[in-house]
Amino acid sequence: MSALHDLLLAPFSYEFMRRGLLSAFLLGVSGGLLGCVLVLRRLALMGDALSHSLLPGIAAAWLLFGTSTAALFFGGLAAGLLTALGSALLSRLTRVKEDAAFGSLFIVFFAAGVALISKLPTRVNLADFLFGNVLGVSPSDLRLALVVSAVTVAVFVLFYRSILLETFDPVFHRATGGRGGLVHLGFLTLTVLNLVAAMQTMGVVLALGLFLLPAVSAYLWCDRFVTMLVTSVCLALLGSLVGILISFHAGLASGAAVVLCLGAVFVASALFSPRYGAIRTLRAGGKG
Amino acid sequence: MSSDQNIVLFRSVTVRYGRLTALRDISLEIPCGSSTAILGGNGAGKSTLLRAVLGWQSLAGGEIRIGDAHPRHARPRLSYVPQRHAVDWDFPITVRGVVEQGRYPHVGVFARLGLDDRRMVDGALEELGIADLADRQIRRLSGGQQQRVFLARAVAHGGDIFLLDEPFAGLDLFAAEELGHILREWEEQGRTVLAAVHDLDIARRSFTRGVLLDTTLVASGPIGEVLTAANIDRAYRHGRCVHAEALRGAQAGEPR
Repeated sequence: MSALHDLLLAPFSYEFMRRGLLSAFLLGVSGGLLGCVLVLRRLALMGDALSHSLLPGIAAAWLLFGTSTAALFFGGLAAGLLTALGSALLSRLTRVKEDAAFGSLFIVFFAAGVALISKLPTRVNLADFLFGNVLGVSPSDLRLALVVSAVTVAVFVLFYRSILLETFDPVFHRATGGRGGLVHLGFLTLTVLNLVAAMQTMGVVLALGLFLLPAVSAYLWCDRFVTMLVTSVCLALLGSLVGILISFHAGLASGAAVVLCLGAVFVASALFSPRYGAIRTLRAGGKG
Repeated sequence: MSSDQNIVLFRSVTVRYGRLTALRDISLEIPCGSSTAILGGNGAGKSTLLRAVLGWQSLAGGEIRIGDAHPRHARPRLSYVPQRHAVDWDFPITVRGVVEQGRYPHVGVFARLGLDDRRMVDGALEELGIADLADRQIRRLSGGQQQRVFLARAVAHGGDIFLLDEPFAGLDLFAAEELGHILREWEEQGRTVLAAVHDLDIARRSFTRGVLLDTTLVASGPIGEVLTAANIDRAYRHGRCVHAEALRGAQAGEPR
């Protein structure tokens, strides 16, 4: 009994662990929702690129204003939106297609970020920055996570039908007077907000895992949009809890631990999903 | 509805994509309650014409009227059915889920679907004979059933003008016959159908009127009078492959 207690409850007798877990839970809820749209709109790789592109903004803010949450937040937000809008403009004004534009811009941004980070005072731990450290979640980080998560959930509840329609059939959405461009821009902004807020627990490079993996796992199980959203959120919560516990006991980077847990769920889903899993497909003799 | 009234009116409509002219000086009338096939080769302007009716295309010249209104103010009357290949059939959504989308534009942002909306959805499912499939994921349907799901969404939307983009593309013979049957029924019920069609034989069998395009208007009227050997020759004689490619490039900004 006491072994179980040590394993599951003791870690959360520490204030910082409670903060870290709560922050991960909050962003698991919003990230689980966002991830579904990323997966269904085939924006998974773009989301990944977007998360890397936050780095220079965050590093620059750190150099200029120190580690204040607000500065890091706006730095990351500016860099992310610059990448998103920049590549949209590039693909519209030049011959370069959107994926190549995004890929090129984000790698330049990421390099600038790495360059800036190497100029940061040595006490900054690069690994924490890239891969997350749940110990470092400050009360202001937690407040940011709360606000971002609440805004994201509110947007999904209020605009559920627009989001579903824009994700499933943007042409029909437009034919019925929907504002597709607005939904898309709002969605990108929400993604950047969540990535920045998840940076402390998950790390810049791994934050997207908290959004993407639960959603793509849920995609393998669900035949309805609503159930996919709910399943995705539940998986994100579960993965955060188990991941943070493992990170505490094994002394791993928290972002990596969470992503590995969610990764295990994804691999299991991809193999064993009764309708859409690999084993079922192989048994049925090919796809379809 | 009297069929001598015109419901869609083009007055010397011209549409350009940059330097490329997609539709040149088109004037035509679509009678109320008719079914019209929009015909022509690749790049002849079939899709552009549909997009113009939907009010998505800024016109370089001329005007379009739906009834007495500008297309943008006629949205509740216009029910659009997308091309089959534009649909993500793996999307986690059921038949009923898709058909309900037809009611979304009529429901406020904060409201839920009401009793009337549900009745319209049920009615549309019944009408297209897919009520027993309502809880199926859309991949688990035959091609003809998949097509009927999107027709049902258009019916649930409640418009009286149906715009279909290549509805026969990718359907097998049986499903194509079935769709032709549905479209003829719609016409008898007084619904106006406007569809981009590739196949001239299908157009002859399933539509009463035709509009033949070659960026300019080659002919419009009863299908038999439109599809004469002389008209077909005029519309399809020129190689327009270059046009078609350029057009597709101009539309690449569209999502997916």
